[in-house]
Amino acid sequence: MARKTAKKIEVDPITLSVVRGILETTQREMTLSLEKTARSSVFNLAHDYSTALFNATPEMILQGQDIPIHLGSLIPAMKVVAGYFEGDIHEGDLLIHNDPAWGGSHAIDTCFYKPVFWKGRLKYWTVCKGHLTDIGGPVPAGYNPNAKEIYAECLRIPPVKVWDRGVPRRDVLNFIFTNMRARRDQEGDFNALIGACQVGERALIAMLEKYGEATVDACIDTLLDMAEKQMRGLISTVPDGTYEGSAIVEDAGHGFGDLTITAKVTIKADTCHIEISSPPQIPYFINSYEGNSYSGVYLGLMMFAQLPPPYNEGLYRCISVNMGPKGTLCNAVEPAPHMNCTTTPMETLTDAVRLAFEKAVPSKVSASWGHANGLNIAGWDKRHDEEYVTMVLATIISGAGATPSQDGWHACGPECCFGALTSGDVELLEYSYPIIIHRYSLMTDSGGAGKNRGGSGTAWEVEPLNDDMTFITFGEGRRIPAVGAAGASSTMIDTKVGRLELVEGSHSETIRENVIKVIKPGDRITNMNPGGGGYGNPMERPVEKVVWDVKNGLVSIQGAREDYGVIIKDPTTLDVDIAATSALRAKRAVAAK
Amino acid sequence: MKSDYRLGIDAGGTFTDFVLADKTGQVRLFKALSTPQDPTLAIKNGLQLISEDLGVSAETVVSNCDLCINGTTVGLNALITHKGAKTGLICTAGHEDSLEIRLGHKEDGYRYDPEYPPATMLVPRYLRRGIRERILSDGSIRQPLNEADVRAACEVFKAEGVETVAISFVWSVLHPDHEARAGAIVREMMPGVILTLGSELYPQVREYTRTSTAVVNAYLAPIMKRYVAAVDSYFRSLGAKQPVRYYQSNGGLAIGQAMTDRSVYAINSGPASAPAAGQYVCEPFGYKNVITVDMGGTSFDITLTKDGSTNINKNIDFLRYRIGVPMIQVETLGAGGGSIGWIDEMGLMQMGPQSAGSDPGPACYGQGGKLPTVSDANLVMGYLNPDGLVGGRLPLDYQKAHDAIKTNLAAPLKMSVERAAYGMFTIVNANMVNGIRRVTVERGYDPRDFVLVGAGGATAAHITALADAIGIDTIILPKLASGLCAFGQIISDVKYNYMATAPLRLDNDAAFARIDALFNQIEAQGVAHLKSDGFKAKDINTKRSLDMRYVGQVHECTVEIGNFTVDAKSISKIKEAFHKRHKELYTYAEPLSVVEVVNIESTVFGVVDKPERMTIGKGTTAQKAMKGHRDAVFSADGKRVRTPIYDGTPLGVGASIKGPAVIEEVTTTIVLEPGWTARLDASGSYLITRDRKKGAT
Repeated sequence: MARKTAKKIEVDPITLSVVRGILETTQREMTLSLEKTARSSVFNLAHDYSTALFNATPEMILQGQDIPIHLGSLIPAMKVVAGYFEGDIHEGDLLIHNDPAWGGSHAIDTCFYKPVFWKGRLKYWTVCKGHLTDIGGPVPAGYNPNAKEIYAECLRIPPVKVWDRGVPRRDVLNFIFTNMRARRDQEGDFNALIGACQVGERALIAMLEKYGEATVDACIDTLLDMAEKQMRGLISTVPDGTYEGSAIVEDAGHGFGDLTITAKVTIKADTCHIEISSPPQIPYFINSYEGNSYSGVYLGLMMFAQLPPPYNEGLYRCISVNMGPKGTLCNAVEPAPHMNCTTTPMETLTDAVRLAFEKAVPSKVSASWGHANGLNIAGWDKRHDEEYVTMVLATIISGAGATPSQDGWHACGPECCFGALTSGDVELLEYSYPIIIHRYSLMTDSGGAGKNRGGSGTAWEVEPLNDDMTFITFGEGRRIPAVGAAGASSTMIDTKVGRLELVEGSHSETIRENVIKVIKPGDRITNMNPGGGGYGNPMERPVEKVVWDVKNGLVSIQGAREDYGVIIKDPTTLDVDIAATSALRAKRAVAAK
Repeated sequence: MKSDYRLGIDAGGTFTDFVLADKTGQVRLFKALSTPQDPTLAIKNGLQLISEDLGVSAETVVSNCDLCINGTTVGLNALITHKGAKTGLICTAGHEDSLEIRLGHKEDGYRYDPEYPPATMLVPRYLRRGIRERILSDGSIRQPLNEADVRAACEVFKAEGVETVAISFVWSVLHPDHEARAGAIVREMMPGVILTLGSELYPQVREYTRTSTAVVNAYLAPIMKRYVAAVDSYFRSLGAKQPVRYYQSNGGLAIGQAMTDRSVYAINSGPASAPAAGQYVCEPFGYKNVITVDMGGTSFDITLTKDGSTNINKNIDFLRYRIGVPMIQVETLGAGGGSIGWIDEMGLMQMGPQSAGSDPGPACYGQGGKLPTVSDANLVMGYLNPDGLVGGRLPLDYQKAHDAIKTNLAAPLKMSVERAAYGMFTIVNANMVNGIRRVTVERGYDPRDFVLVGAGGATAAHITALADAIGIDTIILPKLASGLCAFGQIISDVKYNYMATAPLRLDNDAAFARIDALFNQIEAQGVAHLKSDGFKAKDINTKRSLDMRYVGQVHECTVEIGNFTVDAKSISKIKEAFHKRHKELYTYAEPLSVVEVVNIESTVFGVVDKPERMTIGKGTTAQKAMKGHRDAVFSADGKRVRTPIYDGTPLGVGASIKGPAVIEEVTTTIVLEPGWTARLDASGSYLITRDRKKGAT
């Protein structure tokens, strides 16, 4: 990205702090407004949305602390959309867009862009990006594991004006809603997204009125420069060289086998170049177009950088990225299907970047978090005689990776969301959809073994209330557990990966692939999400911590022995056989060498 | 007020404030050091001070009080330090972990922080016991209560020494029988245990919130019970006429038993009295839209009252624990006289949230503090008296303040000490202003429609600057500012919240009738409760609110409604109020969409008569009260301006002072920036207004 060469105005450091606070407060106001007003549970319960502010350039001047998946991809998307309408952007316009071939991430994440004018000139953009409840296409909620092409996935929206100079374009909106399920909720969600953009606009204009345009401009430029300086400072502490990390995207039923993504990180002074290589794109919904891949790369970078907010585009000025040749998994082109891309392969791409940085700076790592493998559900709600369709975010809540200083958080993932999601209250979900949630709990032995244990994943068990329910599974992480750090590894693998257990009448099975199925009242499915990776050698985990985990049912007696070499001789008192434990741990240490 | 006195005792982090109002309207302020180890000790010490001052025994003071009122931080401290009682949770099998999953979220601001720890569990997993039972979302029973499971849980609790038990089942709010039956079994198996039922404490939809609220309540109940017993018996021994009333975070008083049964209502009672106090001091001026700000040593609390009613928070994270029950909405941030100035990784000056507290305190206290604080900046800028505060009882060291700012901020930022000090002042003000925005703009209110009331010792030095930054034209600054919260407690009413849940779409007559019946039912409970507490029917009031949303939305918007019969005719009034509130908050309304009600709440008040108002006598003029000049800083360039200093104590009613000026009261220092004028009102408050055309736009 080219640096601007315009002359810099000196800004007073005090005003600078004040302007930074206003930008953060503004973004927060947008986020709260969206959460409180939205109809789709993906917004209002799960926080699967992000808001950001851009200047007229457009450069991102503030990214909220929302979903990291959206972090990187909004940057190229905004540029494409503003570029498309260049010369034709007016006060009162509102643009929307979702298409990955036009810089978007995945099409169900639809973005709203409101140009903010001041004295007749374009000054800012307030932007909301949110995961809609449905985006049309052959299957409810957008995720179609059977799609071979993007055309078979959804309604694609290239940059489009839905308000023109303050007047809503009813024809265009109607065209969009006509192509989607659950129209009533979709209209409400559009109102909520537009409302949030307006809330942001209201606050930005108040800031300009109070502090004056020249001062605010200078402050924002300085904030971008300072973020740049901060990242350059951090990068320059990394020894020059090239570091490589690789991670595997599991075959989740497509038949093309496991796919390896490699990240090559080259550090030179205060710059960082990241080169991705991935296999050719496949006719399955896990291809990532370039915009989305930026999110994966930037998240891997931030897992290393561990910077506190605020975030803006200045952070990435010293980072250059090559996503590999066009037509590959991480740099897909039409007609590649893509809907699953924000979790798979993005989380693997993040892991590859993270692992490359782990080699560069082994002292500053967090283990990988559990990858998302979740559920969408749809059907008819007889209680109100209306259609329902939603992604269930509670089904992707995995464990967080352990860090050098502590165990991973339980139930905080998946990696692509990094704790920004919320899963929604069980009663609100049962009120909104005709389902019975029998279980939403942490899972025994699911956290990756390590000196610091990975966080536990979750199990979500559901039964349709009074009518058939379609469910669609997506994601991966059902064979390979979250990658540990600093030598952590687990012996018991089966309990640490995701899977789905289906009980249909007397028949039951475990599903590790992405499927579309219909179940009846009385049938149950339990979706299980992986735990996080551990940190350090599990044989060094203090015995009393292992026993405490056993007491709390987070580790079983068998898990204590297999994963941690701790032998509990009495299942009631949890007394440990100290001699046998020392012997087993010593033996394991030798075996590890 | 028929008796001689009313006593208010408000325990804070550092000091316990005592306010004693007498029949004539005189209010005396006393301060004793707080004693967190034995909270009743501070009360004894304070009463000792009062009895010395009045020359009568503590018994005489207490037995001549119509009411003794106590705001306590005992519950808050137990929650902060995780020193509550050993608690067991009985819940629906399969949902034992909702408390620990916390909806799967990590707090904003710590997204990539590898050291930010998970919240400490108040009930560890092995004490959360799942029971086979299930109610569905329509209130029907899917699976009956398995009593053997409840008994097995009790056996575990007994073996583990559990002292207090919470019971919270999924959808219990639509069908409380399972919780009630499980409670009966627990009582039978564990006599003497303290029991909290989710459906009784917080009968509203949202299992996680209800369970968490019940757990916090159970965790604190034994602590509160012991505390209340000690205080009650101490005051009884002094001959108190009435049981002690305790202050709750809902902004009302409660008797001791209610504090034990509903301990969760005790946790943030300190700042909760600010709105009542703010309204009280504004009453003589006729202002009804009030923002009360309270800046102490470490924190800054903001509360808001609109048209005479105060914003209430429900379902929020408080100290990382989800709490459902209504609490006065208090926005708290780490900005106080002790807030430390520092330079962040990006090279920007920041203020707080770290505070020098009272030990070592600001550099100017000369107790070993080396870091620059807000108080140091205020001293260097000429706002505070270098001879010391509280009439010289707290001496200040100008040089130490100057050096701390120079070394840590001015030198690295290459600016003068005056400019750095003014920068510290500006940034801490900006933090406070962003906090004020969170309770105003974020909630759909324009701060310019409000007056600003200053409470707390440190606020008065910042009050005109804050008003400037948010565009407020009118400030009320009571002489009692530093003890205003304790004062707010003695003018408050007894207050209990009653709730019910009823997810109903507002498109049919049956729904209206159900809402009406529920209001009548919960209010009958409340009235009965207050009558048994000695209130007469004429002194009992109710206030209703509904949590509403458009069908398909999940979060509700609370709308206050009047006390009228809810029926097909009045429903349009209710819907209109909702559309209006939605538009204020979120910029739009959907008048054609169906509205639904989720929760119903009625607040029941037992009205307590108020003490006489303070009145200011003739006193002296401003000119006669002027005691000298200091060179003070009022602008970013750090230039010093010769500024008159006034002694506030002798000032008479109507005395008028124009900024720039400093008015020194005994327990607070008022800074008037240029462009502001203060006039002392008969009610004991300064009315501070912006001069025309001189203030910031």
